[in-house]
Amino acid sequence: MKRQRIFAFVKIQFKSLIKVPTALFIVLLLPVALIMIFGFAFGGVYVENYGWTSQSGYLFEFMVPGFIALSGMFMAIPVALTFSEDREQGLLKRINTTPTSAAEFMGSHVISNMSMAIIQVAIIFILTFLMRGMRFITPVGIILSFVIMIIFSLSTIGFGLITATIAKSAKAAGGIVWIFLLPQQLLAANLYPLPPETQIVTMFMPLHYAADALTLLFYGVDLTNLRIWWDLIILIVFSLVLIIAGILLFRKYGKV
Amino acid sequence: MSKSENREKTSNELVFGSDNPNAIEVKDLVKIYTGKKVIEEVRAIDGISFSISKGELFGLLGPNGAGKTTTINILCGLLNQTKGDAFVGGYNVKKDLSKIKELIGVCPQQASVYQYLNAKENIELFGNLHLVKKEVINERMERFLDLLGLTKASNRAAKKYSGGMLRQLNLIMALISDPPILFLDEPTVGMDARVRRKTWEFINSLKQTNKTVVLTTHYIEEAEALCDRVAIIDFGKLVAIGPPKELIEKHNAKNLEEVFLQITGRRIMEGI
Repeated sequence: MKRQRIFAFVKIQFKSLIKVPTALFIVLLLPVALIMIFGFAFGGVYVENYGWTSQSGYLFEFMVPGFIALSGMFMAIPVALTFSEDREQGLLKRINTTPTSAAEFMGSHVISNMSMAIIQVAIIFILTFLMRGMRFITPVGIILSFVIMIIFSLSTIGFGLITATIAKSAKAAGGIVWIFLLPQQLLAANLYPLPPETQIVTMFMPLHYAADALTLLFYGVDLTNLRIWWDLIILIVFSLVLIIAGILLFRKYGKV
Repeated sequence: MSKSENREKTSNELVFGSDNPNAIEVKDLVKIYTGKKVIEEVRAIDGISFSISKGELFGLLGPNGAGKTTTINILCGLLNQTKGDAFVGGYNVKKDLSKIKELIGVCPQQASVYQYLNAKENIELFGNLHLVKKEVINERMERFLDLLGLTKASNRAAKKYSGGMLRQLNLIMALISDPPILFLDEPTVGMDARVRRKTWEFINSLKQTNKTVVLTTHYIEEAEALCDRVAIIDFGKLVAIGPPKELIEKHNAKNLEEVFLQITGRRIMEGI
């Protein structure tokens, strides 16, 4: 693994974030817009005995963890689009004629997307703090939330790669990626109470574990609570399986 | 830092796999496309053999679907051959692909560039992929951009380039690592006559740097003007090979285009 190659790819990934409006919108502007819209809409709605911890607070405070997890999920879209577009442009083939190894290429994409996830979460956290949506979370909880989101970003990259493998074009990828995103958004983001029966389905969704752990941390639940760590372990397993599956599937069937 | 690390990475330092005077050797190469989506077996390359000397500018000619790009793709490691052997820089394409990739520069048929990046950023990326030092990348980049007249547009996003400019950028990206072996797959297609002439001059100047260049083209006059030797491929078979002048004399033709039409046209008419 050569640093020069990895840095070169990471650099162009970040440039794409600045220069490609779609990527900028999905990774940064959409989460910011969601936080602001819901912050202003529900920031003043006070609820008592909310959720399973029966806490009282502003409704926005209870929605924030779901929005953060959901924002991380959106990262699958630029990943799917980037790989599909690069394949359409013949760039993946061209890179394949250079001494760049598959590990360097894929590794750099994982690094750049994880870095973007960190930036995304940092911006959302600052915004949420400014909008008074982080009253219960502890400083250690904030750090752990970052770790959770970084791990979660691996699974979204995996979803992005699987989408790029299935899709024949970038346009198709833009549609197919919602097969993975939409059910998770509707059922697993913890944005609103759902009947317990949905848990059977959400058990298979990594977003559920990220959102659940974040919700616990944002509710200020003690770190000794095993549910947080159980969520984290399952999320790690999910993320590793998805990223490995994504890389292997894309390399084998991605028509590079 | 050791002396060797401090040195500029040039094509002279990239080591060939053997002392063989040939930069490229192809022996009885066969490529058959099969698979679920292919209804009928397609013999894209049907037992071709040739060799290219170091420093030679070699043209691969043939009608559409003759097997030119397939041959180049095998030599670059993008495709596996069905039968036969191919050596690039003395290395076997089946066994030593990583070493071959250090020796080659590829200018693909499709202008493969990052559209949202400008010319400099695209070129710099491919220099970095070949581990060329930053100052060397900058020096070469300025030189190539100037030679091809792209300096003024070099800070503009590639998506705003004309087809000809994209082709020129495509070519520079292949050259930034100063590779001793260069594959140019229809590098001037879509260029207007003026830009094409300029690009010809540029390709011709590569001869002075002792590079081995494999050029595929549909412009027969391009091959006649630039190439030391040409090979004509038709239906996956090698049907003629030699210096353009020799082929013209042998076929009693006015120019290489006439030779090309005589050979490939006859095969089409005879339904071979």
